[in-house]
Amino acid sequence: MMAESRNADIAIVGAGPAGMAAAVTLADAGYRPTVFDMNAAPGGQIYRQLHAPQASDAVMGKDYRRGRELLDAFLQADIDHRPGSRVWWADNDASGTALGVLARGQTQRWQARQLILAGGAMERGWPFRGWQLPGVMNAGAAQILLKQGALVPSIPPVLAGSGPLLYLLAWQYLRAARPPALILDVAPARRYGEVLHQVHRAWLGRDYLLKGARLIGALKRAGVPIRQGITALEAEGDTAVERVRYRHKGRWHTQPSELLLTHFGVTPEPQLARSLGLEHVWHAGQQCFVPRRDATLAAGTNLWIAGDGGGIGGALNAEREGRLVALSLLENEQRTTAEQRREGQALLAARRRDLEARCLLERLFRLPESWLDDQSAETLVCRCESVSRGELDLAITQGGAGPNQLKAFTRCGMGPCQGRQCGESVTRLLAQRLGGTPDAVGYYHIRPPVHSITLGELAAREASRA
Amino acid sequence: MFQRLDTAATPTRHVQVWLDGEPHRVAETLTVAAAVLQLRGWQGYRRHVDGTPRAPLCMMGVCQECLITIDGCANRQGCLEPVAEGMRIERQGGDIHDG
Ligand SMILES: Cc1cc2nc3c(=O)[nH]c(=O)nc-3n(C[C@H](O)[C@@H](O)[C@H](O)COP(=O)(O)OP(=O)(O)OC[C@H]3O[C@@H](n4cnc5c(N)ncnc54)[C@H](O)[C@@H]3O)c2cc1C
Ligand code: FES
Repeated sequence: MMAESRNADIAIVGAGPAGMAAAVTLADAGYRPTVFDMNAAPGGQIYRQLHAPQASDAVMGKDYRRGRELLDAFLQADIDHRPGSRVWWADNDASGTALGVLARGQTQRWQARQLILAGGAMERGWPFRGWQLPGVMNAGAAQILLKQGALVPSIPPVLAGSGPLLYLLAWQYLRAARPPALILDVAPARRYGEVLHQVHRAWLGRDYLLKGARLIGALKRAGVPIRQGITALEAEGDTAVERVRYRHKGRWHTQPSELLLTHFGVTPEPQLARSLGLEHVWHAGQQCFVPRRDATLAAGTNLWIAGDGGGIGGALNAEREGRLVALSLLENEQRTTAEQRREGQALLAARRRDLEARCLLERLFRLPESWLDDQSAETLVCRCESVSRGELDLAITQGGAGPNQLKAFTRCGMGPCQGRQCGESVTRLLAQRLGGTPDAVGYYHIRPPVHSITLGELAAREASRA
Repeated sequence: MFQRLDTAATPTRHVQVWLDGEPHRVAETLTVAAAVLQLRGWQGYRRHVDGTPRAPLCMMGVCQECLITIDGCANRQGCLEPVAEGMRIERQGGDIHDG
């Protein structure tokens, strides 16, 4: 039903730091990888729009600028970069991976001998009462607006949740002379002291800690109120957010606001890896499922995963993993030099140290696993099908014993986002109610298409092959 | 609503789009959802099948809360479609809704 397939020796899904680094390393070794990315330009999440920055360096900060070297190397190398291409389907067997790609309203079928998944992370779906109201947005989404078109809120927003991105956005707004009205942090203030007691990790992670301390310091000096250790959050309003309610030190407070930007950490974007049937394991520190990878970051035969899509390590780690998977692919082809093997060893050692240091961030920004329990029963878990926590609880008492059963009982996870927003909440809820581990509970079965595709697009073949 | 900083870093071409029948000029780097958030904000963005109002949540293709009519095609993912000269955009906040 699709046009005749095109061949890619090496296909890479994603042109963020991981995908770009893998592609550049492979191009240096004489290969010409094909890189699919759904965005109009390379860069991924962190380096979005970096080829023609919209907000100034002074607003964005130096981590954004840092991507320039990698981006330039990517743009200059001989790489078959395909922007505006969504990989909506993948199927692999011994001979490689078949990919369904949607580009400019047309479907293409590709056959790749080797595949590198570098699809990155997404902001965690984290239900609270009213999170479906217009005027609630992810903080990372608001940062996408800043990167894409130097767009900032016309009213001072409330920022709430946990994780470095929350403070980074607050700081960027401050630099743009649009400070937020209030920051609500789920992490209690004492955590900062606690992590300093993990002396070895604190030393390894000192750059992360210092960076965070600098952001928070700048916000405090500017007089932005920060409430640490909030234990509940709600958005209220009729057709859009009018008020934000939160619990701090045991008492409820109300802040009038029409814009609530939330962030509860990031998790690997799971759809392609899941639809390929790759095994996933619960990562207790990262509080999410991650695909299982071996020491060479391979997740299957001729299949690698690099970057935050394989587990959250941040942008520098993503770049490092991109180089690592390229090197292990070359090693497989018996095309590595002694120097490259040494480089690989050094990268692996650096990765180990960095991930050890990141445990600190995981501890610092740890989310309460019982959060969903504390939400009122009408809180929506599945936004697409409007399924509440209470409805899920009812289905569990009626015998719903696994994510796929709950889906069948309640339609939870059946909507167009395919469970990306509710999947891990459902796993958590079942684990709590039935007393199992997330690994024992499991996750939805994910089947293609992993991106919404219309019948017209499916039928539209390419008029001629390029 | 969202506003463009007047200290934007790179000179950027603007394109004309039609939003609910009215002409507007927006930076060509924006996606449809970003343009709508700049021009009209999150109120009235779209209506969910259950009747409740909704607006973009993730801006990166994950949540499907940005569905919008583009050049006559309903339920396009507005956060993944770059704006283009002459594009017609209609919000689905009234009686057209997904489903
Ligand atoms: C919204 C958001 C904002 C962030 N901002 C920052 C920041 O400012 N600073 C920071 O340090 N970290 C940030 N992060 C964290 C981020 O995960 C970085 O660590 C880094 O971008 C990860 O690099 P990566 O290469 O693994 O993936 P990404 O940079 O996420 O790149 C993955 C790319 O793959 C594409 N893709 C995914 N699936 C498909 C598919 N099926 N078909 C086609 N293309 C696909 C995506 O569109 C994306 O361009 C952010 C994360 C998110 C979700
Ligand atoms: S805003 Fe989430 S998919 Fe478009």
